[in-house]
Amino acid sequence: MIQLCSNDDPPVSFTVPRKAVELSKTIKTMLEDLEGFDMEQTPIPLPNVDAPTLELIVKWVEQHQDDPPPVEKPRVEDDDSDDSDADDDQEPEVVIPEWDKKFLPTDDEQKNQLFKLLNAANYLEIKPLLDIGCKYVADKISGQTVEWVRDYLNMENDYTPEEEAKLKEEIAWAEGL
Amino acid sequence: MATHKTEVARLQADIDRLRRALTDVCGQIVCGRLTGDLPDNFLEQFSQLPDRPLEQVLRFLPARQVAQMRLVSRKFNRLIRKCSKTMPKKGSKREVMFQSTHSGKLTVEWLCDSSNKITRRTTTLAGDGIALSELLRFFHIDGWMFFGKGLSAADKVLDQLSKAWLTIRPEVVIFLGDLSQTSRDSLRAFLMKVQPFIKQLKFQFPSNISDNLLSDDLIGAAGRLNGMMVLPVQGSTLRDVNIGDETLLSIVDAHDISPFFFVKSSSGITPGGVRAFIEKWMKKEKLKPDGKTFGLGRGLAKCVLVFDNCANVTPATVEEACGDLLKKETIAVPDASSSFDDSGEMNDHPCFIIDCPSTNRRLEIHFHIDYFISHDVKGSSVVTDDDSEMDDEDGDDDEDDGDEDDDEGEDEDEDEDDEDEDHDDEDDEDSDLY
Repeated sequence: MIQLCSNDDPPVSFTVPRKAVELSKTIKTMLEDLEGFDMEQTPIPLPNVDAPTLELIVKWVEQHQDDPPPVEKPRVEDDDSDDSDADDDQEPEVVIPEWDKKFLPTDDEQKNQLFKLLNAANYLEIKPLLDIGCKYVADKISGQTVEWVRDYLNMENDYTPEEEAKLKEEIAWAEGL
Repeated sequence: MATHKTEVARLQADIDRLRRALTDVCGQIVCGRLTGDLPDNFLEQFSQLPDRPLEQVLRFLPARQVAQMRLVSRKFNRLIRKCSKTMPKKGSKREVMFQSTHSGKLTVEWLCDSSNKITRRTTTLAGDGIALSELLRFFHIDGWMFFGKGLSAADKVLDQLSKAWLTIRPEVVIFLGDLSQTSRDSLRAFLMKVQPFIKQLKFQFPSNISDNLLSDDLIGAAGRLNGMMVLPVQGSTLRDVNIGDETLLSIVDAHDISPFFFVKSSSGITPGGVRAFIEKWMKKEKLKPDGKTFGLGRGLAKCVLVFDNCANVTPATVEEACGDLLKKETIAVPDASSSFDDSGEMNDHPCFIIDCPSTNRRLEIHFHIDYFISHDVKGSSVVTDDDSEMDDEDGDDDEDDGDEDDDEGEDEDEDEDDEDEDHDDEDDEDSDLY
């Protein structure tokens, strides 16, 4: 069992099976680097993750600890030209499993919790969790107006009206896509 | 005494006040950092997320929306510009037609086959090429690629496509338009970039072919083509198309040998080259089907060479050079001046045929486009409605394109089926000639 500590004061610690915690590439690599030390006794501090988020992460990795590992395609770096696209594979389909649908903090009030979770999944390198979280956000955004998306993502329109008009013209072609 | 008591009480109150103040300050200090004044959701706002999750979200959005998301904020704009280059493609376009309008706008047209429904989409790109490069960030082009009417194969378009070559893997490239703004260098660069994927290259009624635009070394850049057609627009001032023996021979070397080779007004091909072609073709071993390439060996069963108005390749010179290999025949075809009109006069045209029933091979050499068309239409086992329509519309180029595109649409439907594909290709050949 491995102990994880949140960034709260005082830190909140969670005890997680090693197999589950290794879904995080960041922690897995760290544990491999510290091979030989008794990591069972040493809590791992996570400076970017607060207690509620860590609780969610722990719940998720425990649920998914027996999942088959995702198939990772080797990224073929293109050495022919800087201008060309290195990765020309098409995006594989991501389906959010039923359990995860219920798990994700999807209420609008919980929006910030969802973003915190994505941030943590990114920091901890839990790709499947990042994928489903981002897929959820993408589905939410999909088909919405620019204004709606700004509001949903708490973003400010920092363009001048002139810049905005120019950019609109520039992307007008995409209407036909 | 009373004054002292009052003084003590006052000091006590003072100390309590200071203590409270100190507690307040302490409460705001966590790990040496002042936190009290920051908003509750300081770190968790989406805009504070690192690029990667944002990029991941963008990957799941449709192309159209990704482009629009640039309007959300500067950060998004920057991020989209940055990551759309490496983002996996949003889809493949099996057939794309580039066409430029009079106002200098380039339109790109393709078939969308989302959820089993095939729809034709057109998008208009500004003439500056920026939009084209943006478009190519999102899609593969891996089927038929048309350069339609107008200056659509102009250098700036070809250069953009060459730059994005990994996203374009056309199997068939067809130039239909005005090539006056197409330079050798750009065309060559383009053909070299698409070379690993290209199967057939057609210059089908293009106009304004400049000197040396199409010559052996340039077409040679396209490698071992599995099909080649050079057919300058009729009635225009024909310049020599300098395709030579090298290109002709590369057709035999192709993995999947083409069932046709069609050149009009090319002076580069010699009777010696034709002989070399025949000899190579007869010796060529049929490849075993590997399930990957379509129509394997069709061109070995029946191959048609047509040399129309080619200075060095005439019935007389071919007979002289390869008479021992070929059987001469004469076939009556409608007079060129009244083609497809039943009342037209019939003229005799010589042609050469090699027929090997034992190996099931047949090679034909023809010298007249009209013959080839009428022969193929009448001799074809599949005379489609399109054929009869096209008869009516003969000479109307615009309509021809429309017909051809329709054909393409059918291809799309039947792509899975090998037999259908063969059949379709024959159809294509017919319509291509119109």
